[in-house]
Amino acid sequence: MIDESLLYRAIDEAARLGASYAEARYHSLNVFNFYLLNGKVIGGSYSDSTGVSVRVYVGGGQGFASASTISWESIADTVKRAISAARTSATSRKSPARLAPARLGTAKYSVAEKKPLSSISEDAKILTVREALNGVEMKKGDMEIESHTVAYRESVEEKVIANTDGAFVASRVPRVEVFYNLTGKHGALRANRWRELGGSGGLEVLDGMDLASSIQDDVDSLHVNLVKARNMEGTRRLDVVLSPEIVGLSVHESAGHPSEADRVLGREAAQAGLSYRTEMGEGERIGSEHVTIIDDPTIPGSMGFYLYDDEGVAARPRVLIDKGVLRELLHNRETAASFGVESNAASRALDYRSEPIVRMANTYMAPGDYSLDEMLEDIKDGVYIKKYMEWNIDDKRWIARYVGLEAYRIRNGRIEEPLKNVVLEISTRDYYGRIDAVGKDLRFEAGSCGKGEPMQPLPVWMGGPHVRLRGVEVKGA
Amino acid sequence: MIEDLESLVKGRVDEYLILVSDSRELMVKLANGEVSTTQSWRDYEVSIYLAKSGKIAAASYTTHDPKEAIKKTMYMIDRLEESPLYAELPEPSGKEKSRVDPRLKDTALQGDASWVLDELELEEHSTAAGMISIAYTTRRLVGSNRADLKQESTSFNGYIRIFKGGTSGQWAWTSTVYDRVKAARAIGQAASLAEECSKLPHERVEPGTHRVLLGPMIAANLLQLAASAANAGSIILGFSFLQNRGLGSRVGSDAVTILEKPLDDSMPLFTGFDDEGVATRDKVIFEKGVFKTVLHNTKTAKIMGDVTTGNAGWVLPRTFNLEVAPGSLSEDEMLEALGDGIYATNNWYTRFQNYLEGTFSTVTRDALFIVRRGKPVACSSRARLASSMPDLLNSIEDLSRNRYDIQWWEVEEPIRTPYVLVSSMKVSRGASLGAR
Repeated sequence: MIDESLLYRAIDEAARLGASYAEARYHSLNVFNFYLLNGKVIGGSYSDSTGVSVRVYVGGGQGFASASTISWESIADTVKRAISAARTSATSRKSPARLAPARLGTAKYSVAEKKPLSSISEDAKILTVREALNGVEMKKGDMEIESHTVAYRESVEEKVIANTDGAFVASRVPRVEVFYNLTGKHGALRANRWRELGGSGGLEVLDGMDLASSIQDDVDSLHVNLVKARNMEGTRRLDVVLSPEIVGLSVHESAGHPSEADRVLGREAAQAGLSYRTEMGEGERIGSEHVTIIDDPTIPGSMGFYLYDDEGVAARPRVLIDKGVLRELLHNRETAASFGVESNAASRALDYRSEPIVRMANTYMAPGDYSLDEMLEDIKDGVYIKKYMEWNIDDKRWIARYVGLEAYRIRNGRIEEPLKNVVLEISTRDYYGRIDAVGKDLRFEAGSCGKGEPMQPLPVWMGGPHVRLRGVEVKGA
Repeated sequence: MIEDLESLVKGRVDEYLILVSDSRELMVKLANGEVSTTQSWRDYEVSIYLAKSGKIAAASYTTHDPKEAIKKTMYMIDRLEESPLYAELPEPSGKEKSRVDPRLKDTALQGDASWVLDELELEEHSTAAGMISIAYTTRRLVGSNRADLKQESTSFNGYIRIFKGGTSGQWAWTSTVYDRVKAARAIGQAASLAEECSKLPHERVEPGTHRVLLGPMIAANLLQLAASAANAGSIILGFSFLQNRGLGSRVGSDAVTILEKPLDDSMPLFTGFDDEGVATRDKVIFEKGVFKTVLHNTKTAKIMGDVTTGNAGWVLPRTFNLEVAPGSLSEDEMLEALGDGIYATNNWYTRFQNYLEGTFSTVTRDALFIVRRGKPVACSSRARLASSMPDLLNSIEDLSRNRYDIQWWEVEEPIRTPYVLVSSMKVSRGASLGAR
């Protein structure tokens, strides 16, 4: 950790040089990885990304500077560069940037490692992952897993943030993640399954993954796709049931991203794109009354966990869509000022060299009260999409595409034959508007959310229960 | 300094490489015709590769006190296992190759890019969004294989998106020297696309199979992905449609020639040595549609029974500058050759349905023209294009003679690419928000 007085000295120096607001952030990200190819360790890596950033507003312009060297000489230089950068920004401002009021914190917090990362050695961690792999049947009938890669990643993120408005927040968040890719082969056919699992905490996160079951389930899905599934002919309008995995991804892409206020204001227009919420205001209906979507950084054990954002604002759950109606956007203090509201603590940065920008944390659809069987029993002819293999969405977040890795036809309330690579291409309004049943089985998936320039892939959770959509177009591959 | 680092690992492992990178970078971000932020970085990063009894470990750190980081890495390597990828470090045949634009170097060191904004006259574009980046970097590689190589470089790249009347145009540029003409041309192209699209009537692209003219931005994205499939790492890990296609096999039409050119110092990823100290060389990945080269470091070369191509990253290979060979047509002639079809100027969110089959879809953004008899007659809302890499490469009919140096958010490695005419791609009907 850094000598905190250096950060206070930095913001005092920035104020002396003319900053109307200054924040200094010490940010350390320590990461240990190892990689297995077909069960054999191909290597390990360790990285320590540590430095200090300074962000200032001068004359209504914003400037950001960072340095990896931690000394007063380096930090003083960083302050000067941030001031100079802000002056460059200020020259073109049509109106000066302002910061909204916010519930700023003075706090220290850390996520506990119930089973400390240091409690077992690297070789024991390798053994744990390999034991999970050994428990997987990699061949099923004529289908076999031709190759598999597994990456283990543990990280500890430490931050100390001080700003001239009085915030002081020190935090420590450890995380454990496992990524794997399976390549299934059946005759000349091949398909991949990529998955990420993870959460914040210590090695109890790894213990709780049930990695062997997860990989086995995905081997089985590849078997279904490559061996059993058949193409669905043409395009049909059917009832569709989507699994928590797909609902989690979809709410991240078509509710979370478009609710980022900086995107709504056009600040990310040349990179991460635009938002339909530029043209649709708060209070406008976008979905059925069954649809409530929340982004909540305060979920214990989540990948996107934090109690204060990187501007020192106290975090809280944000309701993006309430019973089908658009509600609040995700804000930092600058975007909040543009909308005349308070910041809701969505400012996050990847590391010391990243500017804090508006980001999601853990986005999910609130559960309803249906079981999967209850959803199915009302369907005469439909499709159940359980896992996806391809997705994308346009840059206004309005038309999305999800291609099923594992999907089935539903007939008379029963899950029947598997369908190959079934495609759901749907507008955001159609998607949320046609949901008439929401399950009670809320589940979260770990993910890495991309935004920013330079790119800042941030840890998030994406979640939801099963949902049922009435009468939507699905088509064969 | 680097000698101090060597003393910490020498004799404690069988092999090591140390790469020290010291960089200064300035980035100006634009939105709504104004500077949204200016960022200034000073980064000192040390990366270390260690091999011991066939085990491989790598480390990187930003602190100037490496002892703790190296201690952790040494502790870690003792607990790893012999790697199936391990190969002895090669002889360091690399050559030092530097190119520095003094004006860019001074700007990066002094941290003030306001003169660039003045010269590019961006204030004329009240809706512009984008980014301009200026960087100065020094690298030094030393190793137990007696590598001791240095590089000094500058870069100047950016991209601009300009909006007009509900439509937009976007273009990018990249260079190792300050090139006002190249940057101004990119800004002009973005403005021109937005202008042209805004003047045309709006019409939706009908779903189905279309002839497609890919502008340099979208060609850069898709052809870079095609070239990355030739990386041995992608092949070994199961992320390549070339996995079961041997060298010499036909993977595209005669019009398709893609080169990898690390020695081209007009593009930012130039270098005379790879991360193992091996001399880089320019090479053909696809020549007239035939798969010619797998990109290797010594490790993947050993596994696949080949030799290194001077593309080392430490564990898996990397790709440097890419170049698509030009065709013979002017841009107007490309539109004429398209006849009836669509002209897509930019895309994002390319995702593979199946890496091994190469099936993918991508979503257009910015101006999307409907072309009839070689003339743009309407502008469409966003649409989704779907194909597979083999189908895409095999359906390339022609390319323009003019090429553009592209690097941006969706194109990480610099690529010099022409316009590309594709005989058929599946198109899903897009939808504008206004038509929701």
